Amino acid sequence: MSQVFDKLLDARGLNCPMPLVNARKEIGKLAPGQVLKVVATDRGSIADFQGWAKVAKSVELVGQETESTDGTNVYVHYVKRLA
Amino acid sequence: MDPLTGDVWTAGDLLDRLERRDAFFVLDVRNRDEFERFRLEGRRPVPALNIPYFEMLEIGGKDEMVDSVVAYVEQDLTGALPSDLPILAVCAKGDTSEFVAQGLRRLGYRSANLKGGMRAWGEHYATRPLVESPDLAIYQVSRPARGCLSYVVASARKAIVIDPLRHLQPYLDLARGKGLTIEAVIDTHGHADHISGGRVLAAETGALYYLHPYDAVHPIDVLPATTPYEFIRDGQVFMVGQHELQALHIPGHTLGLVALRLDDSYLFTGDSIFIRSIARPDLGGKAETWAPLHGQSLRRLLGLPGAITVLPGHFSSLDEADEMGRFVASLDDLKRRNDGLVVLQRESEGGFIRYLLESLPQFIPEYVDIKRVNAGLLTPTEEDAMTLELGKNVCALSQAYTASGGGGQ
Repeated sequence: MSQVFDKLLDARGLNCPMPLVNARKEIGKLAPGQVLKVVATDRGSIADFQGWAKVAKSVELVGQETESTDGTNVYVHYVKRLA
Repeated sequence: MDPLTGDVWTAGDLLDRLERRDAFFVLDVRNRDEFERFRLEGRRPVPALNIPYFEMLEIGGKDEMVDSVVAYVEQDLTGALPSDLPILAVCAKGDTSEFVAQGLRRLGYRSANLKGGMRAWGEHYATRPLVESPDLAIYQVSRPARGCLSYVVASARKAIVIDPLRHLQPYLDLARGKGLTIEAVIDTHGHADHISGGRVLAAETGALYYLHPYDAVHPIDVLPATTPYEFIRDGQVFMVGQHELQALHIPGHTLGLVALRLDDSYLFTGDSIFIRSIARPDLGGKAETWAPLHGQSLRRLLGLPGAITVLPGHFSSLDEADEMGRFVASLDDLKRRNDGLVVLQRESEGGFIRYLLESLPQFIPEYVDIKRVNAGLLTPTEEDAMTLELGKNVCALSQAYTASGGGGQ
């Protein structure tokens, strides 16, 4: 499944908490209804984006995927700005 | 920097403090389920608060992590954090908790970061000599966060390693430091709670790897191990210099469990007799069939000389250690104070089996896969191995955990 998105944030190689810290900053720049795609290599980001989306009132986690290339996993998160 | 606590604690610093019963407070910023599954436990309960970092970030509401921590603590945690104790910030890998420790220090708290996080703590090893002479040396190599114990037995520069754990460096370092050649590696049984380092350590050092053949069959898959090993049989003797290390087949926790008796002096019990409790008989999925075997095997061990020193395969709580941090006790001592052995001596065979079956902790689903890994039926990535091994072992009967001083509220 390939999700439509408006902006891409490359957080590969960044350790926790930076993928989420940077995603929060970027989502603030989007208009309501737009989707941010975050690619990260930190496996913990899967659960962390889920947990964050539950706490954050103005975002919705609309999709997550794991892509594997050359034995390296990339974790993809689609975050929609609600308001 | 706080001269007493420092800004960063290594896993080794943390172990020292837990063993000394130092008072400190933990602010753990992992997910709630991670915290529930694996938390810091000491000789006494460690007071802890779990607030996932993404809640601090979102509710604190600042762009940067440290600023959000400061804002969150000022809004929501004033009064909840002690001002008179060091606060150890803890996360999965030690990166996020560094921001948390910085935020706390900005607010005037004494705070340190756990370097490498729970991952480093989970992979920390401690090596303690139990006896050390040219004629005989025994080292207890523990993985404190997991409650796993292993041993290096040496005489005349030749060593046998018993139940080595997944990371080989502590054994290789010890062997190099003491000038020992590892000649044999023995797994007392097919482990369920942790990935054995046995086969790999043997391959790395050119030693032979020994296992009882019954434990080379996965008990639930009923498939044979794919990797080579030497058979151990009941009564088999391994020489350690002039000392005899004799295998005693004591099925119960697994079908192929052996204890190893070093003369009349030491008894490596594997997963049979621990310090506070005894092993559970259900990890092969056959509790009712194996419980009677377990009872018979334990009675066999009770017949050994009472002065023999028991060296167990696990502990459930750090407070089972002596003041030197060693997990050892004489068999006579354990007959008086080990929950399972007290019941064993008091009850009939049937009564003891009922006790076993009524004392089973929750079955850990990961343990089926760990047994597969140990039989060579499954090859995990490093991340998978870490996830499989997360948290403390649950190899003892449930009393070991309810009686444990290490809960942490």
